[in-house]
Amino acid sequence: MPRNILITGANGTLGLAIAEFFLSYEPDAIVHLGVRERRERAASLVERSEGRAKLVTLEITDPDAWKAAIEQIGSLDVLVNNAGFHDDVLLANMKADQWSRVLEGNLGSVFHGCQAALAVMMRQRGGRIVNIASLSAIHPPAGQTNYAAAKAGVVGLTKSLAKEAARMGITVNAVLPGYIEGGLPPEWSEEHLKALKMQLPMRRFARPAEVAAAVFFLASPEASYITGTALPIDGGMI
Amino acid sequence: MLTRQRLKELLIAELMLDLKATDIGDDTPLFGPAGVGLDSVDALQLVVMLEKHYGFKMADQEQARQVLQSVDSIVQAVEGAKAVA
Repeated sequence: MPRNILITGANGTLGLAIAEFFLSYEPDAIVHLGVRERRERAASLVERSEGRAKLVTLEITDPDAWKAAIEQIGSLDVLVNNAGFHDDVLLANMKADQWSRVLEGNLGSVFHGCQAALAVMMRQRGGRIVNIASLSAIHPPAGQTNYAAAKAGVVGLTKSLAKEAARMGITVNAVLPGYIEGGLPPEWSEEHLKALKMQLPMRRFARPAEVAAAVFFLASPEASYITGTALPIDGGMI
Repeated sequence: MLTRQRLKELLIAELMLDLKATDIGDDTPLFGPAGVGLDSVDALQLVVMLEKHYGFKMADQEQARQVLQSVDSIVQAVEGAKAVA
C-alpha cells in the first residue's frame, strides 16, 4: 500500500530535499508538499514527479487547516514538520510579537500538526512523525532566544509525545540540523560564511540531502523501535 | 455485538497486555494499580478502539471515566447505546 507523506515548508531548501529523497528512494510513496503563498519551487517538483507529488495549501498555525489538509490527503503515514522561520534579535531588543510569532510558527505549528496527524494515525494504529528542530535547540548562538526556545520546545514535545504514541505503533522523532547549504540567511556575507566553515570540524555545511537521509530513515518502517530521539546532524560541531 | 470475552481479547491485543482473557475479571477495575493497571494512554486508545470497532463515541472525558471503569461497564454502555439507536 503506497504511503502518504506530508512535508510542511515544502517550498524551502530542506523541505524540497526531503521530498526529493522520498520520491527517489520510496518509489510508491505519494508526497504531499505543504505550502502557503510561496510555492514555485514545490510546483516545479510536482510537474517533474509524474503524479507522485502533490501540493497541499496549509497554514501551519491553523488547526482547521491541518484537519482539512489531512482530509484532502485521505490517510497519513508520515508527517514531517519542517516549516519554520527565524526572526533573530537580541532579547533586550526583542518585541513581544517577535517572540510570540516565532514560538507559534516553530512550536505551535508542530503541536497543531502532531495533534492532527495523531487523530488519523491512532485509527490506523501506525505512523511516523519526524519534527525538524535545530541544533539551536541545544547549542544556540546569541540572538536566537525565541528560535532556540521554540526548537527546544519541539525536542521536549517530541520526547513526551513519543511516550504517548509508542503503544499505538507511532514513532515520533526529531532531527537537529546545524548549518545547511542553501538554507542560510541571504544577508550573510561570503566572508562570514567562510569564517563559519573554518570553525566546523568538517569545514563545510550540511548538504540538504544529508539531513533528508536521516529524516527518511526515521520515517521508514525499519526504524520501528526508534522513538523519542533528537538526532543532531551537525558534522561533529557539538 | 460486543461480548465480555471479545472485549477482553481486544484489550489484550490492542493494548499489548501480557495477560490472558481469564486474568481480567468482568468487574475488575481497569485503571489503577489495584486493577488491571491501565493508564491514560490506554484510555485514549480505548476511546479510539470503541469508536473504530463499534461506532461508540463518548461525549467527553467525564463520560469516558464512567464508561471505562471495567469490562462490565464498557459492554453495558456500548450495548446500551445500540439498543437506544
